[in-house]
Amino acid sequence: MIDLKNLTIEKAHESLKRGDYSVSDLVDAYLEVIKKGNPDINAYIEIFDDLKEQIKIAEKMRKEGKATLMTGIPTAIKDNMLVDSHIASAGSNILKNYKATYDAFVIKQLKSAGAILLGRTNMDEFAMGSSTETSAYGNTKNPLDVNRVPGGSSGGSVAAVAMNGALVSLGSDTGGSIRQPASFTGLVGLKPTYGAVSRSGIIAMASSLDQVGSIGKTVRDAEILFEAINGYDELDSTSVPKEKRIKPSPMRKRIGIPKEFLKSKGIDKSVLENFEESCQKLEKIGYELVDISLPLIKYSLAVYYIIMPAEVSSNLARYDGMRYGLSVEASKLYDVYAKTRGAGFGREVRRRILLGTYILSHGYYDAYYNTAVKSRSAITAELNSVFSSVDAIITPTSPSLPFKFNEKIKDPLAMYMSDLFTVPVNIAGIPAMSIPSGKTKDGLPFGLHIMAPAFREDILFAIGKDFEKLV
Amino acid sequence: MQLDDIKKLATLARIDMSESEIMEIAKDFDAILSYVGQVKEATKSISARKDLAEEFSLFNVMRDDAVTNKEGAYSEKIIKEMPDTQDGFLKVKQIL
Repeated sequence: MIDLKNLTIEKAHESLKRGDYSVSDLVDAYLEVIKKGNPDINAYIEIFDDLKEQIKIAEKMRKEGKATLMTGIPTAIKDNMLVDSHIASAGSNILKNYKATYDAFVIKQLKSAGAILLGRTNMDEFAMGSSTETSAYGNTKNPLDVNRVPGGSSGGSVAAVAMNGALVSLGSDTGGSIRQPASFTGLVGLKPTYGAVSRSGIIAMASSLDQVGSIGKTVRDAEILFEAINGYDELDSTSVPKEKRIKPSPMRKRIGIPKEFLKSKGIDKSVLENFEESCQKLEKIGYELVDISLPLIKYSLAVYYIIMPAEVSSNLARYDGMRYGLSVEASKLYDVYAKTRGAGFGREVRRRILLGTYILSHGYYDAYYNTAVKSRSAITAELNSVFSSVDAIITPTSPSLPFKFNEKIKDPLAMYMSDLFTVPVNIAGIPAMSIPSGKTKDGLPFGLHIMAPAFREDILFAIGKDFEKLV
Repeated sequence: MQLDDIKKLATLARIDMSESEIMEIAKDFDAILSYVGQVKEATKSISARKDLAEEFSLFNVMRDDAVTNKEGAYSEKIIKEMPDTQDGFLKVKQIL
């Protein structure tokens, strides 16, 4: 029996190297858990049918001494990433039978590292949601408490790891979609710097905000997976060449706390108490905590819910029933479009497309979109100026504990508030990570959210590893 | 928001929607738009801040418009995804 609960990438790598077990044994152990757990948890929409071929490649790399840390590591893939010849549906009916015709950049990277792609995980439709309840493929349950949501939109990716149905997983994060679910399931979730990881082959939601990142049980696991997908790619014009990225410099061990921002409405008392404890822990191990002032950060959520739907409405125009995906028969061309999109998109996606259409329409464009773009650049400048005096900024990851099914799905604004602490990071394009920071007496997890300057993921890993030892 | 406004948006966005959903969306929109309306307030705070240098780091990234794959390398797979084809062409409804 392989102890999957305490397994890390490095431990698995050592065991595979020593020959304690083979890649095939390791994959079988995960498949066994998935077979038992997935019918209830619904982390995976599909387990890939080519695992045998993948295992063969990984075993060969191991035998020939060409193994990297990721070789043979069972990894779960969010359903919005293209894997050649496999369905990629983005949790939507409109792409129910769509088969990818090429590999996403991140998939190419993982394949060349010999990672095992176990299958595709459930998600909020087109990544629009914070609970995975907007998926066309049913709810995903939180493995820590099956009456509660796993967060979203990468709910399937975190549930897969939390139920020990994958060692690590890939998620995507447009406003918190890796970090909030990681927090809800007691995992580590990294949203890298905008431009660090190519989005070529990722089904777009809001292109100026989307980023692919890693999910794991430990900071080191999230770091290893990130290193495997991190890199320049000319097929994503926002990808930043390595030589143009900021180089690491020594830490001052000084962390900023945005005191005013933490007084926002709607934050659970228990979340703030846990955050206070986390601060004390960091001080104990030698970090200096300083109050910082970020008067504009409170506008981030409003800015986000203008820019994001605007980009959504334009990105999702491509799903028209013509070239791929669902196509509903009608006698006139316009009716094919409207019927396909009416039947193929779920309620939340329809709502956001309409909102974006409104925001970008003549007469409202200046009042909403242009104002939001200006505010975005001011919020970014404000955050960057604070980083001249601190290494990182911390807040809780989510304003609430994992909530119950149907608690927020009927009230879009309440659901949108879930993104309060995570959204500023996407607005500014900086990296951030959620790490577990303890549990309630009922076993519900809290998350600590760490933000760092652009391309300083190393700071997140350093603080994360220090903090991890204390929890 | 008036129901007719939402209907017009649905037509522009090419999405068939039921009357009941249109009514629901009209209600949601009022709440969402009043929340995001905060950005107008943000503009005031921003213009009062002289310390924030404007960050315009956006520029275009171009690459050569060159063919990088063998001709027809993806054709079969892509055509297979099309709802309707004829002789290797995508078939759509009459436009005019």
